[in-house]
Amino acid sequence: MEIKTEQFTELARKELKNERTRFFLKVIPAVMKARRDAGMANLPDPSAAMACGAAIRAEALARLPELLEEFEKNATANGMKVFWARDDKEANEFIKKLAKEKGVRYVTKGKSMVTEETALNELLEEHGIEVWETDLGEFIAQQLHRPPFHIVGPAINVPVEEVRDLFIQKIGLKEPTLDPIQLGYAARLFLRDKFHHVQMGVTGVNVAVAETGTIINVENEGNIRFTKASPPVQVSVMSLEKVVASMEDALHMIRLVCRNCTGQRISVYVSMDSGPKKKDEIDGPEELYIVIVDNGRSKIYQDAKARDALRCIRCGACLVSCPVWRQVGGYAYGWAYSGPMGQVLNPMILGLERTQELYRASTLCGSCKSICPVGIDHPSLFLYYRAKDVLGDPNFKSVNRPWMERKFFKMFSWAAATPWAWNMGVRMARPIMNKDAQNGVVSKAKGPFQGWFRSRNIPAMAGDTFHDRWKNNLKDKG
Amino acid sequence: MKEVSLFIPCTVDLFAPRIGEAVVNLLRRVGANPIYHEEQTCCGQPAMNAGYREEAKKVAKHFITVFEKDPVIVSPAGSCVCMVKDHYPEILEDEPDWFRRAKDLAPRVYEFSQYLVDVLKVEDVGASFEGKVTYHESCHILRGLGVSEQPKKLIRAVKGAQLIPLDNADSCCGFGGEFANDFPDISESMVKDKVESFLTSGADLLVLNEPGCFLNIGGYLNRNHPGKRIMHLASFLATNGREAEYGN
Repeated sequence: MEIKTEQFTELARKELKNERTRFFLKVIPAVMKARRDAGMANLPDPSAAMACGAAIRAEALARLPELLEEFEKNATANGMKVFWARDDKEANEFIKKLAKEKGVRYVTKGKSMVTEETALNELLEEHGIEVWETDLGEFIAQQLHRPPFHIVGPAINVPVEEVRDLFIQKIGLKEPTLDPIQLGYAARLFLRDKFHHVQMGVTGVNVAVAETGTIINVENEGNIRFTKASPPVQVSVMSLEKVVASMEDALHMIRLVCRNCTGQRISVYVSMDSGPKKKDEIDGPEELYIVIVDNGRSKIYQDAKARDALRCIRCGACLVSCPVWRQVGGYAYGWAYSGPMGQVLNPMILGLERTQELYRASTLCGSCKSICPVGIDHPSLFLYYRAKDVLGDPNFKSVNRPWMERKFFKMFSWAAATPWAWNMGVRMARPIMNKDAQNGVVSKAKGPFQGWFRSRNIPAMAGDTFHDRWKNNLKDKG
Repeated sequence: MKEVSLFIPCTVDLFAPRIGEAVVNLLRRVGANPIYHEEQTCCGQPAMNAGYREEAKKVAKHFITVFEKDPVIVSPAGSCVCMVKDHYPEILEDEPDWFRRAKDLAPRVYEFSQYLVDVLKVEDVGASFEGKVTYHESCHILRGLGVSEQPKKLIRAVKGAQLIPLDNADSCCGFGGEFANDFPDISESMVKDKVESFLTSGADLLVLNEPGCFLNIGGYLNRNHPGKRIMHLASFLATNGREAEYGN
């Protein structure tokens, strides 16, 4: 997937003008958020469940190196083959090589965000290996060559007419229909055929269990199970933070991820793999590979504060609760992960310079933090990234801020700590600020503050500030 | 008489001083004695939010020096209160003496409706208003301080006023300090939604208690719906809903 995180403002502007997006965003996020809230409300104590989720993820991260080794040991004992990929290239190269070795013509894929991150599909296709996404939404997004609009509903914004036309063109839909069930059925028939002959399946991983060497996937369509059970070779790709200590912990994460994704108590399918097919078993893959992807995460891990971003379990609740995401949708964020989730993850994986606008495009309203089932404090991380960026920290791939801005805040802080200078500054700023004031209101300005005036006015700076009023009048009335 | 130190944020001082006057009037009305340190400036939030922690620290130290002897500090701005209570200890963590002083100060800082209702146990301040009022839940007041019932109690106690619900009352209005200026398109879309909720609520007046939201929503109304009225809670209570001019 092409990385367009630098284009956030531009992409957002485009989406703000897109009537379809506007219509969609007015309706669906509120419905998804309400489902999520209802899903959580059926737990006996939702906030305790969230606190427990936060504790599990915090412990898993604190013990991450140890848990990963334990997972590898147990997975290997179960007959899985574990491959460690330092970055996207190593992960993709390994899978491509494996596919070539096995003489695979195409692979089917279960929905996997980490392979969106590594752009696996593009690489396989470049080397003549077809890729079929089998999650219905992901299938549509893939055929349209679009990034996911929402992590759980990648094509949720695509109108049904467009899906119909796409299916006529790409999968030979014979009778044009707008019935979603019929369209779903057409995709199902098409993909069943792919599953029937598939030689290699690629999936993601929702949770990896260290104590048992098990990987777990949740889904509603059954396509991941097909992708895992049909072919002789299964490759499951996970980013390295997905591991938890015990099966008990994993089950709690599933409890949370399903409720926060879709409001379900549990997804329609939950599949667990603890190794390839054994001699006396009738189905399952003959070979099962686990690819554990680092891609910059172990570097994030060194930083005790930024590490919290790795708690994320990709439920997507923060997207539909975010007032910014609810205006611009998923495309604006320019990569696999959108919304507050993307705003905390992308800067760590891609570096601060090329994700500037992501961690700045937040009002710090705290809605994401208030619903995150694993206790990520997104606003605090945004502030942390901004601070790292100001310092020009090379570990975070930051290149410092503009000279003018740095000068401005130096002046500001000096004046704010020096009352006479502050008061003098106020007196000097007033005539400039109020130059075009009418009826006590300023409605335009040039220079660095013009953004404000695009759609708003501001009161003229008071001729007598509160400070003056207190001194001249209020004080003595008491 | 109980002495209450006023923490008047720079937004109020410079752009909406009448909110500060209203706070003074109300505090006197309920029997408190407001005092004001003339050395106060800004809490440093703009620097903090832009990532300039060293600069914010400098401002924090000035603030602490000015206010630390006061037993009670009250402000008509939630986000500034959060800055002092939450962010001061965070940014001063590596300077033990200042950290202790910041920690010491934090529990004595109150948002104004919180102080009236939770500490002074006052709900009825003797105000009256004939009409329907709706309330916007500002982010830092609601999620930052957990204050939501207090302002509503104060509104409900106003004689003649009817508090009616606002759709998506807890959604951000799109202010976010520099956000409103740096992402004007997104911010506009957010404030437009907020105003739409207000217009469809059927309320005569939108009340809130965060100066940032007041400037943002008020600035949008002033430009696009000049007849529609918005007031800070303090102004609403102090003037019986009569003061509703946005400008100075």
